[in-house]
Amino acid sequence: MMLLTGGAYQGKTAYLLKNLPDIVCTDGETCSFSEAEHAQCINHYHALIRRLFEAQEDPAAWTARYCDAHPDGIILLNETGCGIIPLDSAERRLRELTGICGCIVAEHAQTVIRITCGIPSAIKGDLP
Amino acid sequence: MTTLITGGSKCGKSRFAESLLLSHSGQRRYLATMQPFGADAERAIARHREMRAGKGFSTTEQYTDLHRLMLPPHCGVLLECLCNLTANEMFREDPAPDVLRHIMRGIRHLQLQAEQLVIVTGQVGSDGIRYPAETDAYIALLGAVSRETAALADAVYECVYGIPVLLKGAASC
Repeated sequence: MMLLTGGAYQGKTAYLLKNLPDIVCTDGETCSFSEAEHAQCINHYHALIRRLFEAQEDPAAWTARYCDAHPDGIILLNETGCGIIPLDSAERRLRELTGICGCIVAEHAQTVIRITCGIPSAIKGDLP
Repeated sequence: MTTLITGGSKCGKSRFAESLLLSHSGQRRYLATMQPFGADAERAIARHREMRAGKGFSTTEQYTDLHRLMLPPHCGVLLECLCNLTANEMFREDPAPDVLRHIMRGIRHLQLQAEQLVIVTGQVGSDGIRYPAETDAYIALLGAVSRETAALADAVYECVYGIPVLLKGAASC
């Protein structure tokens, strides 16, 4: 697996398309859950986590299942946890779940790349 | 040896911090700063207790005034975390006149006593949200505490979704 992470709008999608121009990428913001389940690559995974959470699915269990089923999967996930703890309890839980899901993906991934201002750094494995 | 670990929410900071102390042969002491207020805090405390189970840590709850703590010799200490400690010191009924100096005095006191000191802090200033003045003052103070602690530390890591990224010093694992 590969995980591309970093803050919002730092160039994760552009990096993916530059390295894998033919990749078919499912958008976690809009796809159906079953589409995501079978996708080789999921963009905006944090949005999928939010949608699973809102649909009262367990995003951590879902993520673990996806990782087991897709040893070659690619996940694009924003870093969302570097702020003040939200006052709203659902937002608080969602932020925690995003962290937990990110750890699950990173553990399964052979390569984790963090992209800042368009610049990739391999924090696990090597740059492709 | 002092190690500081930072990162966002649920990014594996604690797990990594514990792993750094597992090879320590002396006593392992966990300094817990989270006050058990509310269901969320209780859930977090229970989760952390479960994670530490079987790893040989004895727990001391120390919400403020680290400088009063006496540790046994050759101790490996995990201080978790500066985010709670800073909030506890800042919002207590009788805060010190200079909260930053007060906190740093406590951290240096631990550093002098512990053979291995691992400190967890958190990145709270990167959400781009404009907060009320009191919250803003907290973010500024935690930033200062983290910067000063990083300056005292031999190694500093940032955890990104469970992966420790070395920011200062030599890798200790």
